[in-house]
Amino acid sequence: MKDIMRVKCLLSSDVETLINQQIKKEAHSSAIYLSMASWCNRNGYDFSSDYFFAQAEEERQHQLKFFKYVLDMGGNAVSPEITNVKGEYNSFREVFEEALEQEISVTQSIKNIAARCHKEQDYVTIEFLNWFFREQREEEYKARRALELFDVIGEEGTGRWQIDKHVGQISYSSEA
Amino acid sequence: MQNLTVQSSIDFVEVFSTKAGAIYQSDSENCWYIDFAGKLARFDYRNILKLKKAVYHIDIEDLLLNNTKAPDLEILFICACDHCYVLSLLEIIALKELLQGTFVMLELNHIIYDRLHRIII
Ligand SMILES: [Fe+2]
Ligand SMILES: [Fe+2]
Repeated sequence: MKDIMRVKCLLSSDVETLINQQIKKEAHSSAIYLSMASWCNRNGYDFSSDYFFAQAEEERQHQLKFFKYVLDMGGNAVSPEITNVKGEYNSFREVFEEALEQEISVTQSIKNIAARCHKEQDYVTIEFLNWFFREQREEEYKARRALELFDVIGEEGTGRWQIDKHVGQISYSSEA
Repeated sequence: MQNLTVQSSIDFVEVFSTKAGAIYQSDSENCWYIDFAGKLARFDYRNILKLKKAVYHIDIEDLLLNNTKAPDLEILFICACDHCYVLSLLEIIALKELLQGTFVMLELNHIIYDRLHRIII
């Protein structure tokens, strides 16, 4: 008996499901960052707003990258429904705390997919995921650095104005 | 002699069967035939997955517990597929069992392919 499923699609249905969940997660991240950009803009933090606009765009690209991978491998990529996007934050700092939290949970869920792939010996998908692990290194780094500005600069006086100015300058350049 | 191409219509392999029905695979046509609820229906790769999804998504517990007067009938309509099933609750359970067994067998077949056939080349 032929293995028709495998001929049609490289991904197992479990991995396909996990990646579709990840597609939703990336889309959700993008929506959250957009919401953060809005909040920062409304509250006068222009540099942070721009930073989050850029992040929202990046998350959209991540979503599409996963989306196209599923299709390229013969699977069914599902366009996700996005709900539960918070619009208000209690403080400038809270925005960055949640941004880091968000990135950590994304790293975690990509690790989850990789764990499943290892179990199935799906080295093809693991190789694909490696790009995302690199990306998460940068994403977490930037989010952590941004949050650290609150401690380094302090929020008193013109502190928040200073923090906002520095957020736009954070970049990750490790070649390792 | 007449030019008759005799198609070996017996390239069916039974994948899984229960008392309620059976699912066969046709290697030459790359598809499956589902013998269930009094008919034999052909499903290709996309459609069998859609059927699986549709059946697995039916909340059987909910159908069992809700005591509305509506009859326990589910209509399974698969987009871009010629077949549609109108099934009673018991038939849904039977079809689900049939599909679950089938997908386990397909998975098993895949593992055998993966570990044996594709390594020895
Ligand atoms: Fe992302
Ligand atoms: Fe991210």
